[in-house]
Amino acid sequence: MSNAVMQASHAGAEINKLQRFKARARQYIWGYLFVAPWVLLYIAFGLYPLILSFYLTFFDYSFVRPDDYIFVGVGNWIRGVTDPLFWKGLVNIFYNQSIFITLNLGIGLLTAVMLYKTVYLGRIFRTIYFMPVVTSVVVLMAIGNFIASPQGPLQSMLMEAGILKTGIFWKFSSWLPMPIIAVINAWKWFGVSTVILLAGLYSIDTTYYEAASIDGGTGPQQFYYITLPQLRPQIFFILVLNVINGLQMFTEVFTLGYDVFGGPSNQAITPVLYLYAQAFDRSNIGYASTLGLLLALVIALLTIIQFRLIPSE
Amino acid sequence: MLPVRKLTLSSAVIYLFLILGALVVLYPFFYMVMNSFKFGPEILHAPTRLPSQITLSGYVGVFEKLNMLLLYKNSLIIAVSITFLNALLSALAAYAIAKIPFPGRDQLFAFMLATMMIPGVLFLIPTYVVMYRLGWVGQFHALIIPAAVSVYNIFLIRQFIIGIPNELIEAARLDGAGDLLIFFRMILPLSRPVLVAVAILSFIGSWNDFIGPLLYLNTPDKWTVQLGLYQFQTSIPGENIQEIWASMTLITLPLVVIYFALQDQFVKAFANVSFK
Repeated sequence: MSNAVMQASHAGAEINKLQRFKARARQYIWGYLFVAPWVLLYIAFGLYPLILSFYLTFFDYSFVRPDDYIFVGVGNWIRGVTDPLFWKGLVNIFYNQSIFITLNLGIGLLTAVMLYKTVYLGRIFRTIYFMPVVTSVVVLMAIGNFIASPQGPLQSMLMEAGILKTGIFWKFSSWLPMPIIAVINAWKWFGVSTVILLAGLYSIDTTYYEAASIDGGTGPQQFYYITLPQLRPQIFFILVLNVINGLQMFTEVFTLGYDVFGGPSNQAITPVLYLYAQAFDRSNIGYASTLGLLLALVIALLTIIQFRLIPSE
Repeated sequence: MLPVRKLTLSSAVIYLFLILGALVVLYPFFYMVMNSFKFGPEILHAPTRLPSQITLSGYVGVFEKLNMLLLYKNSLIIAVSITFLNALLSALAAYAIAKIPFPGRDQLFAFMLATMMIPGVLFLIPTYVVMYRLGWVGQFHALIIPAAVSVYNIFLIRQFIIGIPNELIEAARLDGAGDLLIFFRMILPLSRPVLVAVAILSFIGSWNDFIGPLLYLNTPDKWTVQLGLYQFQTSIPGENIQEIWASMTLITLPLVVIYFALQDQFVKAFANVSFK
């Protein structure tokens, strides 16, 4: 082979490489264009607000005088950490969530196991159990409120049975709103747990149960030693999801018709309701930002604790 | 060997419990629809009894007093815009992340997943400040633009697109198709199942949203169904009780219809959550 031919083929390979590079670069440009909407929107309505939020925590800022930023240092942070209403909101939410999560997981597990064991009509039950999930919080809280009211079916039934003497105006009670909201919420959301846990049940290898039956394991034993451990990823997922969403509860208490501080004894105040009150009732934007960050810290802390306590693989 | 399933005593007990559960779930819906056909005094004094006389006056009142058609229109404009934009833009990003190996792709995807861990409450106040400065408060696009694309949907669609064989895409490339053409002609049609799931989630999320409209839509001509219902409930306590039940039924109806029509995709859209 002569030198000239070799040089020519070498040059050809170079051109080929260049062309391939150009083709790939053209493809990359499309890639960047396709992710651009998310990147731009996240910068504008994600990153920038996050930085702004942190910045605002050091200022006294109000929509009443939108051009004034009064520097207050860590004043908002100290005020937030020592604010009894913020803590009252957290206590309320923990009270509410401990009942809600117990009910949600319990009912979810029960219905999932029952649906797993049935052969017929499973789909119809699943469809019905999922209906409240689709319905809005505003509507469901309104219905729940009427059903639990002194004139509603529950209390009138209890009164006819002689268990209750007089109607209970639970919304004004200092300790009843949180558990009742938890029950209404469990009724709304257990369908999600059912579906997630049911998918988990179907993924368990049935040979475990067969082996356990041969060894004489009873039903409850099998449930405790096989089903529950095998469902750990699903249970863990539901727990994390519930804690993150539950701590941010707002619409449930807001639409029940309390004032922005959750009633006369703050019986229904939640951290986000309090944040709303500070921002939009009192126009303390800097302080409300601080409350948002404090709540996010609490959520992050709880999520980390959950990841530590429950190894999910 | 599969366990033999027979209709035994224990399965009868199970069905009994399942039916009981279904009744508990359905009763509040029944209660709502039943009361929506009653006259006002009967709702107040005998809320648990069946209507002694069926009336449509609540439904008539809803359209006269609450301007239900306007609320429907506003909610539809917002929900349809978000659903359309979100499905399209999330699918575009998902395709790029699944099939185009551009430099920095994996880092971007990792960052996206990390943003999912940030609780939404953090954005509430600063986003309002941003909207306030932009002069968007009081406008639909304050709700539509930030919701036009979402990481969660990108993630769901990506999981699906990854399963589309690369050979198909390479073959189209060899035939001279560009990425835009491949996306619209091949990826979008093939991803139909996941796009339906994403669309359902977006539509229901937007239709049921309360805090967004509460913050941003402060004039009655912009109210959505949820905000309208809330304002209607709280404005005149005790009055308009017929209209409240009728409007709740009307607000819930479109969702229940969509839900029953697409229930399998719907449950899948939610259940997908557990498989990540």
